[in-house]
Amino acid sequence: MNLDHFPWLTTIILFPIVASLLIPIIPDKDGKTVRWYALIIGLLDFALIVYAFTTQYDFADPGMQLVESYAWVPQLDLKWSVGADGLSMPLIILTGFITTLAILAAWPVTLKPKLFYFLILAMYGGQIGVFAVQDMLLFFLMWELELIPVYLLLSIWGGKKRLYAATKFILYTAGGSLFILVAALAMAFYGDTITFDMRSLLTKDFPLTFQLWIYAGFLIAYGVKLPIIPLHTWLPDAHGEATAPVHMLLAGILLKMGGYALIRMNAEMLPDAHAYFAPVLIILGIVNIIYAALTSFAQRSLKRKIAYSSISHMGFVLIGIASFTDLGLSGAVLQMVSHGLIGASLFFLVGATYDRTHTLMLDEMGGVGKQMPKIFSMFTACSLASLALPGMSGFVAELMVFVGFSTSDAYSPTFKVIVVILAAIGVILTPIYLLSMLREIFYGPENKELTSHEKLVDAEPREVFIIACLLIPIIGIGFYPKLLTQVYDAKTIQLTSRLRDAVPALALRQSSHEPIALQPAQNYPEAPAIVSH
Amino acid sequence: MEPLYQYAWLIPVLPLVGATLVGLGLLSFNQFTNRFRSGNSVFIVSLIGAAMTYSFALLWSQLQGHAPYTQIIEWAAAGTFHLNMGYTIDHLTALMLVIVTTVAFLVMVYTDGYMAHDPGYIRFYAYLSLFSSSMLGLVISPNLVQVYVFWELVGMCSYLLIGFWYDRKPAADACQKAFVTNRVGDFGLLLGILGLYWATNSFEFDVIGTRLQDLVQSGSISAGLAALFAVLVFLGPVAKSAQFPLHVWLPDAMEGPTPISALIHAATMVAAGVFLIARMFPVFEGIPIAMDVIAWTGAFTAFLGATIAITQNDIKKGLAYSTMSQLGYMVMAMGVGAYTAGLFHLMTHAYFKAMMFLGSGSVIHGMEDVVGHDPAYAQDMRLMGGLRKYMPITAGTFFVGTLAISGIPPFAGFWSKDEILGAAFTANPIFWAVGWVTAGITAFYMFRMYFSTFEGSFRGNDSAVRNQIKAEKLQSLGLAFGPGAMNPQELMVASDHTHDDHGHDDHDHPEQSHSHAPHESPLTMTLPLLVLAVPSALIGLVGTPFHNYFEEFIHPSTEVVHEVVELGAFDWSEFLVMAASSVGIALIGITLASLMYLTRKIDPSAIAAKIPALYQLSKNKWYIDDIYNAVFVMGSRRLARQVLEVDVRIVDGLVNLAGLVTLVTGEGLKYLENGRAQFYALIIFGAVLGLVLISGVT
Repeated sequence: MNLDHFPWLTTIILFPIVASLLIPIIPDKDGKTVRWYALIIGLLDFALIVYAFTTQYDFADPGMQLVESYAWVPQLDLKWSVGADGLSMPLIILTGFITTLAILAAWPVTLKPKLFYFLILAMYGGQIGVFAVQDMLLFFLMWELELIPVYLLLSIWGGKKRLYAATKFILYTAGGSLFILVAALAMAFYGDTITFDMRSLLTKDFPLTFQLWIYAGFLIAYGVKLPIIPLHTWLPDAHGEATAPVHMLLAGILLKMGGYALIRMNAEMLPDAHAYFAPVLIILGIVNIIYAALTSFAQRSLKRKIAYSSISHMGFVLIGIASFTDLGLSGAVLQMVSHGLIGASLFFLVGATYDRTHTLMLDEMGGVGKQMPKIFSMFTACSLASLALPGMSGFVAELMVFVGFSTSDAYSPTFKVIVVILAAIGVILTPIYLLSMLREIFYGPENKELTSHEKLVDAEPREVFIIACLLIPIIGIGFYPKLLTQVYDAKTIQLTSRLRDAVPALALRQSSHEPIALQPAQNYPEAPAIVSH
Repeated sequence: MEPLYQYAWLIPVLPLVGATLVGLGLLSFNQFTNRFRSGNSVFIVSLIGAAMTYSFALLWSQLQGHAPYTQIIEWAAAGTFHLNMGYTIDHLTALMLVIVTTVAFLVMVYTDGYMAHDPGYIRFYAYLSLFSSSMLGLVISPNLVQVYVFWELVGMCSYLLIGFWYDRKPAADACQKAFVTNRVGDFGLLLGILGLYWATNSFEFDVIGTRLQDLVQSGSISAGLAALFAVLVFLGPVAKSAQFPLHVWLPDAMEGPTPISALIHAATMVAAGVFLIARMFPVFEGIPIAMDVIAWTGAFTAFLGATIAITQNDIKKGLAYSTMSQLGYMVMAMGVGAYTAGLFHLMTHAYFKAMMFLGSGSVIHGMEDVVGHDPAYAQDMRLMGGLRKYMPITAGTFFVGTLAISGIPPFAGFWSKDEILGAAFTANPIFWAVGWVTAGITAFYMFRMYFSTFEGSFRGNDSAVRNQIKAEKLQSLGLAFGPGAMNPQELMVASDHTHDDHGHDDHDHPEQSHSHAPHESPLTMTLPLLVLAVPSALIGLVGTPFHNYFEEFIHPSTEVVHEVVELGAFDWSEFLVMAASSVGIALIGITLASLMYLTRKIDPSAIAAKIPALYQLSKNKWYIDDIYNAVFVMGSRRLARQVLEVDVRIVDGLVNLAGLVTLVTGEGLKYLENGRAQFYALIIFGAVLGLVLISGVT
């Protein structure tokens, strides 16, 4: 068999979905066989992903690779077309990694295990599909495909207010998806040729007004997913009710779809509109960072606290996307991967703590560190990662966004100063809420009321293993970021130059990158900046 | 000699390896690891010992005049942006490496005795090793970003170590306070780094300095902007070196075990701020405003720390404020351009203050046998006294340290402090005056501490003092729990109760203690004290003004060596006047202290009663903590709650309202569409009538 023409991505997407269909016929009485089955499928698919990208993918090539295209509905030019570039590849690997770990995290699930693992495996394929497909209609289908499992996972295995949360989630995201569909149709039917293919759409020349409308539509749809304030209120409810494995998927992967789509469609396909919307993204990013950090600080429920911290971290993605620099965009991608790992680990630990204390209210905890030293140390490590401690991936990502934005020549110095200061306030707020959280859970004298009626057992090896798996890449990237950045670098550089071409003032300066920074005052005032105030 | 430099990265990596292995062992094979207590500690101590030997070899090579050595690798890259990490070994680095490794090594040896009975013995060693690694990484950093990385890492280690006894509430609060306060400083540092990078496109210290100079001179960026960047960078050292207004975390950090206070919060990490100013000296030098800000901050902090230290009863808090004050001296020295003097004081202070902290730990260790394992009792000087009889080695070494910090020749502190005062006098006599007065206060409070701890009679069993301490403790608890005057009797009972619950390995209550007399500490604790006493007494001799070896070795990279030669023309009369005045005021302080606390000719409480306002100001730390608490802590909490209210009521409220509206309209339509034809006919009739009316009107 010729490996070069093997349909890698299609296999990776369809394998878990097909495997999930077999679950009903697996003989299984106590739910133990099916979880092994799911774990093996997850591992196999992850192995496929790793193998495909290490052997068949050229990191230095910014273009689409592993491309497959099969006609599906030729009349509509609807094709099953998949591919991966530097933007989707890290996220596909992340998806395989986090989903497999989530299956392992779901080990104690006893309620309807067959349905549970069926949904998880179906989601596995759907999620990878979102990152891999190269056709707008297909993208929309995949986007919807992963909604239904989440809805069911929330409404069956969730907490007390699970129906409210699940309904809110589905209404919000389905409402958002409408904009995707409308915008996609508009783009497809514009001009002489009807096409849904993303690469063909890239070459279409849309007028500015049209682009602005489409951009706004996409922004709403992806703003719900990322989420961007004020479209975020589904997230604390959904996160507040989900079980730990679903949580890991929500925070680790689903939020990244918003960021990915923003870069893939808003930025890459509509560069002219992006030039107009970029300052908006920056302001939204700042609002995300500060508003969510403050809300998180005031939250008394553990899950909601971490949920808001996710929103806060996504603010850096927005700033990175809108920075018009290689570094900023690269930082945005890194922040997505990094938050995927850190968010998943924190939510897993929240679940592990809840399993022991049976409460999410910080007021009812306190001093549990003595009885659960392993969970304590893992929670500390992951919280430190989340507050962007150097040596861990979050720091590198935020630093890249900061340096990228502050050296960007697309904005006036005043605007940059204000934005950088506000974003840096987030750097102060993050440790406040995360360390307060740690203090209220683990530090201080033991809460007798809690310890008297709950048996607090320390982490079991499975839990330590999951956190170790997540911490190794977190620390690995933190120690040597090139490890990850070099595999997608080619794409972000290419994309940045496309974005800069759309801004006439920046396009001219492509080659003279270095001297600008060297002589700031001589160049900056002349630059017709996007935002000048 | 080249291999010596090629493998210099081993210095921070060795302790890191130790910390990682022991940490992994603790996490994965807890019981197994815990069984080999001494095995683990010997492993970690020998690694830092190896790092120390290596550092001495590097210092020796640098003393022989080896050229600075830098090695870098590309760490992060995106497009045209490249960020390098690596290490650089020059004179300053070699000196700092030796200071850090020696103090760390001795503190680790000491820890074996001090933490012998603690269940977290191995964890403590792992943290210590991790800290040493980060601190060593900081001093070899070749650029600002790497400094920032390790800057945060030492902050994290400090956080972990202050909160080491995590079941104590004060420790839990203190570690968070330390981290957040330091993050405020890091906020400034980060902004400063970004600003400087934007302006000069570089993270290297020298390159930033020269380019910034050129940019200001050519008018490309205004001098004000350059000064702003410099001051922002300086915010980092302000937090790390506990300078006003970000000093509040350091005294609270004393909640950590005493070896930590010696290593991190006296000798090394807090000095990192001074080190960074030294590294950034090429940048600061050219910006007069920044230098002024630095000098004034340092001078004010020196004075503030000293005035607070006078009234502290907790021996460690007293030392903490003294550290703050001494750091103020160093920062002031940097600010007036006395680069060498500041670093010289950093070195001498590292040794004598580490020794005094370890000495205080030895005292606390001895006191715990008498008063129990409650820091409120074991660290209170009112319960001490006469300890020289019981702990002669501790007393002797502490006395050396006291003389050194008070600036009595020929002890180390004299030479370095005198050099700072001399430089301050040439720069601005006000700085000299502040430093001079502070020197007097320093001598006073240090001797107050020495006399009340080691001289007189032992008061450890004085129940009146115990009750007083208890009442103060309860009062602070009562205040912490909010207003509402409680019956003191009730509080006593209540606290006895709560006290049993918390407190680290609090097996024995203050009332039921082992013995009635303290004892000298074991050899592992006294040996480091004795070793540290040597540099505390003698190391000042390398920097005497008539033959300053230190200055020949350490001088700003921008400064040419001819100034050193210039100093060869040494003015004896000027030196003698300066030295006499500073020794004079120190002697006045010592005399006052001995009259008040040794011979008890003057009653300190009578003086305190005469100037209640000043006494309260000092005792309450100038009320700075209270102000911060009211403004920042409460303010941020209130703001956060308000934002949450907005989120829940308005943003989410609108969402739910939208849902409700849909529901209500749906329900409403259900009743309209009821299937009766007459009703539909009525609606149509009504609608037609309406349309006719409207068209008729218009």
